[in-house]
Amino acid sequence: MAGVAFDAVTKVYPGPVVAVERLTLEVADGEFLILVGPSGCGKSTALRMVAGLERISAGTITIGDRIVNDVPPKDRDVAMVFQNYALYPHMTVEKNLAFGLRRRRTPREEVRRRVGEIASMLGLDDLLGRRPGQLSGGQRQRVAMGRAIVREPDVFLLDEPLSNLDAKLRVEMRAELKRLQDRVGVTTIYVTHDQVEAMTLGERIAVLSDGILQQVGSPQDVYDHPANVFVAGFIGSPPMNLLRGTATGGRVVAGDLELEDAHVADGDVVVGIRPEALHPANGGHPGPGLAVRVDVVEPLGDEVLVHGSVEASGADARRRVLDATLLADAVSDRGTVRLRLPPRERPSPGSTLHLTVAPEEVHLFDDATGLAVRRR
Amino acid sequence: MVERPRRRLLPFDPWHLFLAPLAVVMLLPMVWMVVTSLETEAQTFHFPPILWPGTLRFGNYVTVLRESAFGTWFWNTTVVTVTIVLSNLVLCTLAAYAFARIRFLGRGVIYFLLLATLMVPIQVVLIPTFLIVKELRLLDHLGALIVPHVASVFGIFMLTQFFRTLPIELEEAARIDGASRLSILLRIVVPLSLPALATLAVIQFMWTWNEFLWPLVTILTNQGAFTLQLGLATFQGSHQTQWHFVAAANIMSMLPMLILFLVAQRYFVRGIATQGLKG
Amino acid sequence: MDRFRRFLVSDHAAGWAFILPSVILIAVFGIAPIVWGLILSFQKAGLISPEREWVGLDNYTRIASDPKVRQAAINTVYYTILFVPTSILAALFIAQALNRKIAFVRFYRLAVFIPVVTSTIATGIMFLWLFDRNFGLANWLLGKVGLGPFGFFEDPDQAMIALVLMTVWGWLGFDTIIYLAALQGVPQELTEAAAIDGAGRLSSFWRVTWPMLGPATLLLVVWSTISAIQLFDEVFFVTKGGPLGRTSVVVFYVYRLAFEQGLGALSLAGYAAAIAYVLFLVILALTLVQFWLGSRVIHYRS
Repeated sequence: MAGVAFDAVTKVYPGPVVAVERLTLEVADGEFLILVGPSGCGKSTALRMVAGLERISAGTITIGDRIVNDVPPKDRDVAMVFQNYALYPHMTVEKNLAFGLRRRRTPREEVRRRVGEIASMLGLDDLLGRRPGQLSGGQRQRVAMGRAIVREPDVFLLDEPLSNLDAKLRVEMRAELKRLQDRVGVTTIYVTHDQVEAMTLGERIAVLSDGILQQVGSPQDVYDHPANVFVAGFIGSPPMNLLRGTATGGRVVAGDLELEDAHVADGDVVVGIRPEALHPANGGHPGPGLAVRVDVVEPLGDEVLVHGSVEASGADARRRVLDATLLADAVSDRGTVRLRLPPRERPSPGSTLHLTVAPEEVHLFDDATGLAVRRR
Repeated sequence: MVERPRRRLLPFDPWHLFLAPLAVVMLLPMVWMVVTSLETEAQTFHFPPILWPGTLRFGNYVTVLRESAFGTWFWNTTVVTVTIVLSNLVLCTLAAYAFARIRFLGRGVIYFLLLATLMVPIQVVLIPTFLIVKELRLLDHLGALIVPHVASVFGIFMLTQFFRTLPIELEEAARIDGASRLSILLRIVVPLSLPALATLAVIQFMWTWNEFLWPLVTILTNQGAFTLQLGLATFQGSHQTQWHFVAAANIMSMLPMLILFLVAQRYFVRGIATQGLKG
Repeated sequence: MDRFRRFLVSDHAAGWAFILPSVILIAVFGIAPIVWGLILSFQKAGLISPEREWVGLDNYTRIASDPKVRQAAINTVYYTILFVPTSILAALFIAQALNRKIAFVRFYRLAVFIPVVTSTIATGIMFLWLFDRNFGLANWLLGKVGLGPFGFFEDPDQAMIALVLMTVWGWLGFDTIIYLAALQGVPQELTEAAAIDGAGRLSSFWRVTWPMLGPATLLLVVWSTISAIQLFDEVFFVTKGGPLGRTSVVVFYVYRLAFEQGLGALSLAGYAAAIAYVLFLVILALTLVQFWLGSRVIHYRS
């Protein structure tokens, strides 16, 4: 059992392509940390550097109390679950599970005992004699997990282990994973591009974009207080509504939305409002008002998702933060806004909804840097 | 195949009219050899040729075995071929794995140099290799036939290409599980490479079994070290008109390769087809 | 010490350990000879005797004025020009005939492939017997249709052609396998689209299939040319370069110089090496030209 520490870790590929830039992050002993971000953000690379499958260009990675930069994978005492499981196709499930233990010269008796234990824990007892080719996707995933767990490593590394499963199975396995984690309690670093997984599974999540760490914190914390526009737009589904506005003398104006006492310097800002923070006016949530022209109404069963447009122009949060050209172009003259309504409401397309939002639910970001502005 | 409606003139596909005679032409030399090997000397000199000798004289085969060193030639060739195939499998696998998966200093340069030797035709290296073998005092022994071929560049090239097609995650998973490089090679890569190894074995077997020029050049006076091809050639030279014996010797020499081909046809075809992909 | 230990377990050490046995052997028996051959070509050298005398380019200039070299070169070119197109065209035709679902196709394929595994000596014996002037099956069959009898290997004008027939028989399977693999790689949709577009059988082949066989054809042309130029076994065993030197090809002459004449008092190994190197350069140049021409003509699949 050991913690993992990244200290200014950088990975550069020939090109030059910077996959990970000065990542500094600490994973406590026994903690379940999720690395989340869009494709190409460097999360898998960071994971592979912990595993020893990629060389570190600069900085150090520490597992426990030793720096492992030059330690080969087999001596790091880590276990990894690959996205495609990487089960040895010519070996039975039993041999797959036992492989790592056998390589480390564990006595046969002990191997048998541990493999048996893990097989029961994961419901694989009947499958021990089969080959991976004869298993379903969910079963293979469990074998991959089992192979990692049976080694009783210091650190678990999981690289998008659920992304190859169908939606229903994914939900089941998520719960399963959480249960396992509670039971086994080993330091775990989990990589995913699915922010729903990140929110539900992690004790702490670390958001990456373009190789740079954007924010680290508990899921709720990151959701409630995004540190910059990228995180604000990435975490949360449907995503936070982002509009362009201007601040003058402590007053922010975005289209027909006006916010007083904003305590923010003069200049261009980005206004962020989560869909669930928008309520119909006169619905008992006093605050600045916004008029939304309804475009599309999506009844989802438990709620209704409305896509509409507003007078203010929208902001693009997908570009890299700290890039000076971020937010330079407005996506459209009328920004897209999404909101949630109770299940039976069906506003007609083309009609206008008048909504309000509580002032404390409005997020403000500096237009030039993308960073959140603290207003308290 | 595109199905086109057309009138059927014949009760069978017209291509048989081409393919059947073609098959006859391709098989005729061998079939005729078999027939000849079962005739008496007098029958072989009959013109027009006797197509079916009536009684089959397997005695010719016995005579050839008894009166010539056929057994020795066969044994020598077997020893040389099996040794070379086995050593190829071992050495080429090791080297190919390193070229395919291990990053080491000089990898690119060495691989390029090895490939470059494939471009050089045999007559260029014939004389110098002879001299080298002579310096090593291997001339006139089976060693001269074995040692230069213990590792083949073709084998290394073919296996390197193949290893690169295996999914690398399997090896990464094994590395994390604690396996050493050699362990990964033996327990993961090799079991998944059996078809490619079989192909290499079969192709190398054929080349070595059928080789003529190199034994001709290196086995000078030691008749006890003659290979099958060398022996066969001398046998034909000394029994020039005794076609019934020559035919028997010839058939016996071809049998192992024919049997191997019938059994492992798939690998022969694959081996040749992948040479085509190499380009 | 720690740096040394780290090196020992590093990838560099592992990589070199894996390749070392092979590399040493290939260096000795594959690379060294290439260099030594070049050196020999500048020397007057004996095979058995250790005599070595540096003669610079003398060997090379001698090549130009040696009538036997000229004869060998002519013979080699003649053989190559006959062999390459014949074997490739025949293989193409046969491959597309075999690329069908008809009865016995597996048997037909077997019949075509099997000669590939026969050795040059075995094939030589078979054809010596088949082409025997007095008792061979060939003359008997040809006589039935009013042709012959032919001298085949014994007739100075026919010997080379007989060699071509024999070697085409032996190599047909190889070429056919490659063409068959290439044909099977042509997506069926292409020929189907052509059929819908109204192309007849021949035109469909010419315009759709043939262009896709470009890479395979180039490979076969290069490969066949190189092996044709290096013809040896059949000449040595079947015709011994005759009759009247009409089948003496370059590699055969090189062998003669180095291993028959050169074993005695005359030291001709250097001269033979020089001829070998010139041949190598010719092959190299030819191959490059073929690839260059090929790249101009072939459209590689996108």
